[in-house]
Amino acid sequence: MPELKPILLVEDNPKDLELTLAALEQSQLANEVVVVRDGEEALDFLYRRGPHESRNTSDPAVVLLDLKLPKIDGLEVLEKVKADPRLRQTPVVMLTSSREESDLVRSYELGVNAFVVKPVGFREFFDAIQDLGVFWAILNEPPPRRNGT
Amino acid sequence: MTQQTHDLDLTACEREPIHIPGSIQPHGILLAIRLSDRTIAYASANTAEIFGFDPADALGRPFDEVMPALSAEFAAQLDDPPAAGNARFVRTIQVHTAQQERFFETAVSRSGDCAILELEEPPQGGISSIDALYPTLRRFVEQLQGASTIETLCHLAAQDIRRMTGFDRVLIYQFDEQWNGTVIAEDRNEVLPSYLDLRFPASDIPAQARELYRRNRLRIIPDADYTPVPIQSRDPAPLDLSDSVLRSVSPVHLEYMRNMGTLASMSISILRDGQLWGLISCHNKEPKRVSLQVRNACDFLTQIFSLQLEARENTTLAENRVRLGAVQTRLLAHMAAEERFIAGLVNHPDDLMMLSGAQGAAVLTQDHCWCLGEAPTMDQVRALFDWLSDNHQEDVFATDHLAAIYPAAEAFADKASGLLSISISKVHSSYVLWFRPEVVQTVKWGGNPQKPVQEEAGSLRLHPRRSFETWKETVRSRSLAWDRSEIEAVKELRNAIVGIVLRRAEELASLSEELRRSNKELEAFSYSVSHDLRAPFRHIVGYSELLKKEASDLSEKGRRYVDTIIESAYTAGTLVDNLLRFSQMGRTALKPRTVDVAGLVGEIRHKLSAEHADRRIQWVVGDLLPVNADPVLIRLVFENLLDNAVKYTRTREKARIEIGSSRKNGETVYFVRDNGVGFDMKYIDKLFGVFQRLHRMEEFEGTGIGLANVRRIVERHGGRAWAEGALDRGATFSVALPDHDEGAA
Repeated sequence: MPELKPILLVEDNPKDLELTLAALEQSQLANEVVVVRDGEEALDFLYRRGPHESRNTSDPAVVLLDLKLPKIDGLEVLEKVKADPRLRQTPVVMLTSSREESDLVRSYELGVNAFVVKPVGFREFFDAIQDLGVFWAILNEPPPRRNGT
Repeated sequence: MTQQTHDLDLTACEREPIHIPGSIQPHGILLAIRLSDRTIAYASANTAEIFGFDPADALGRPFDEVMPALSAEFAAQLDDPPAAGNARFVRTIQVHTAQQERFFETAVSRSGDCAILELEEPPQGGISSIDALYPTLRRFVEQLQGASTIETLCHLAAQDIRRMTGFDRVLIYQFDEQWNGTVIAEDRNEVLPSYLDLRFPASDIPAQARELYRRNRLRIIPDADYTPVPIQSRDPAPLDLSDSVLRSVSPVHLEYMRNMGTLASMSISILRDGQLWGLISCHNKEPKRVSLQVRNACDFLTQIFSLQLEARENTTLAENRVRLGAVQTRLLAHMAAEERFIAGLVNHPDDLMMLSGAQGAAVLTQDHCWCLGEAPTMDQVRALFDWLSDNHQEDVFATDHLAAIYPAAEAFADKASGLLSISISKVHSSYVLWFRPEVVQTVKWGGNPQKPVQEEAGSLRLHPRRSFETWKETVRSRSLAWDRSEIEAVKELRNAIVGIVLRRAEELASLSEELRRSNKELEAFSYSVSHDLRAPFRHIVGYSELLKKEASDLSEKGRRYVDTIIESAYTAGTLVDNLLRFSQMGRTALKPRTVDVAGLVGEIRHKLSAEHADRRIQWVVGDLLPVNADPVLIRLVFENLLDNAVKYTRTREKARIEIGSSRKNGETVYFVRDNGVGFDMKYIDKLFGVFQRLHRMEEFEGTGIGLANVRRIVERHGGRAWAEGALDRGATFSVALPDHDEGAA
């Protein structure tokens, strides 16, 4: 039985956070959902530093990353993750309220794995989150683990 | 020289060394005294008759030895000889000659290292003393004060010169910039015909003759039939007679005079700033002598006249400036009153032409050409415009001989021998042109003043008759010259126009700056809408759904309230999405490629059928041609149209939706027809407007932006969108997209 990796959810908006968690809950995923509230904390978690220095969780199966975040925004987090050879293979899904094409273009330039505009409709929103969770946490076959990581 | 009369070139005159003719006219005698040793260096042959000795014997001998009395009279002059270029009238002297006491009027001038002494016996009829001439001079000066125009001034001068000299005809002759002359005033008796307004070619007075006129202001030829008196000397070098009053004149000139029927002539130069402005030209049918004293009075009068002329010309120039300034002000007002300033010029051709005294004008821009008054044809003007754009981009360009630099102008010399142009915008290559006709047509020849002259055998002389033909030839395709005030006036008009153009450009620049700013604001706005407005609606929808699940004991009414909240928030959220899409549509670039419309419609239909599985919809899909368009946007068009068709057939038991396409006249037309509720054609204009709805909200949901999006997308592709319908009888929506060369993209 392979180790169940957590889902890292980066979301500052408490309402979106609650709705997203509700959706993930309903998908009955067994994965732990780690919630961080801004870009800085997300990087701390990924780099195991600060409050997450001694975390015993494994690296996330997927990062659900909101685009608009305090301190360090989603695009910057994405840029750092994709520029780091050690983190590059961690799937990042950009979640956003924005329909701005420039954000979409920039995200793909930085190597985002998926870009999801949060739907207004409840059903659609739930479906989208659940699909993401199921796909990245369960269906997606992660790259083979290399020595030294 | 051989006989070559017919080919004789007028420039031959210019080469004639008229300042060293080696002879004088016979109405006086000439002696040249070498200043270094006071010996007689040159003497006219006629000294013999008057002084009774052979000049050959006198040459080389001291002046005071040969002619002691005369030498004494001139002693002071020889001690202080005049500078070259200044002949000096001395006075009337009395000399004891071989036979008797004689009176002579004397003049001294300078030639190299010699002083030239010239003596004339006063003509019959007594001596006109300065005292006798004074009243005429005084009256002339008094009258000058009252003369307001150059014409009056010239007329007065002609009258008084004639009164003092008694010639048959006195002309005031003015040179133009090419040295052609026009008779601008005249006073005469009936002996000789009028020359008023006649023009004479520059070649009538060749360059070196003009130089002598400038240098030696007064010349007289008392008898064109005279026999020249040779000047004798031991010196092989000829004596320069530039400043001499007795200098023998060119035989060509004498023949010219005889041909004109004037045996005596006198001319006085009118100088302005040291330049030859014109001549006062006196003619007499019979030979006529004028005393040196009278000639000097005439010279004096002419100098006063010249000064007055200058003052009047300056006044006239100033008046012209004021007058043209008024025309210019009117033109500016016309321009200001029009939406496009050019219309202000084009709609007031009279003012435009008056500005430069032109008979025709044209206003040209890259796209338009307006021809006004006596102008060449539009094609000719356009060709001229091309030539100007290539060759004369200077701000102001003027020529009175366009054909010389632009040969094609020969074809319209009658309209535009003269061209004055201003370039308004170099970037957009715009010009205003003024035209003047060929001047030959404007010359009043006044009949034929010269009798044709029979050529004498062996004569090498030019005949005036022939000379006038040549003159006509040389002035072809020339217009009257543009004067300074006219050129200045159009220059000022140009400055004014450039000012207008610049101001417009600045206004445009500030407008586009404004637009850029408001676009930026719109972008910022749509971004914040995207982020900050969608989220709350999503939250309302989400929490309401959660509430509905949690509150299982909610009453039917409460459940309906929650549903209403969800529905309203959902609608608002969708509206934000649509609005955003609408605003982005203007900003994003089209990425057209070939779109498989049949496949696209299939997908949309599939989705709609799934969403409305409970309804009976009959789809009739015809042949759907592919189109070259932006695939994302064109999908939105069909989504909207099909969605509408499904929506508005909801009340039908059996909905029928028909889709098809056809290609004609370079465009592909798609239609979507339904048997739904339709619409009243009187609202057709509102159908495609933003937020325009034709149904009540509770009947059919929607944000009222779908069709606006359709139209905007189609128009961005260069196509059209339209609709036909009838209330309760269905509707047909059509879009036409232009065909593009698919291989090109």
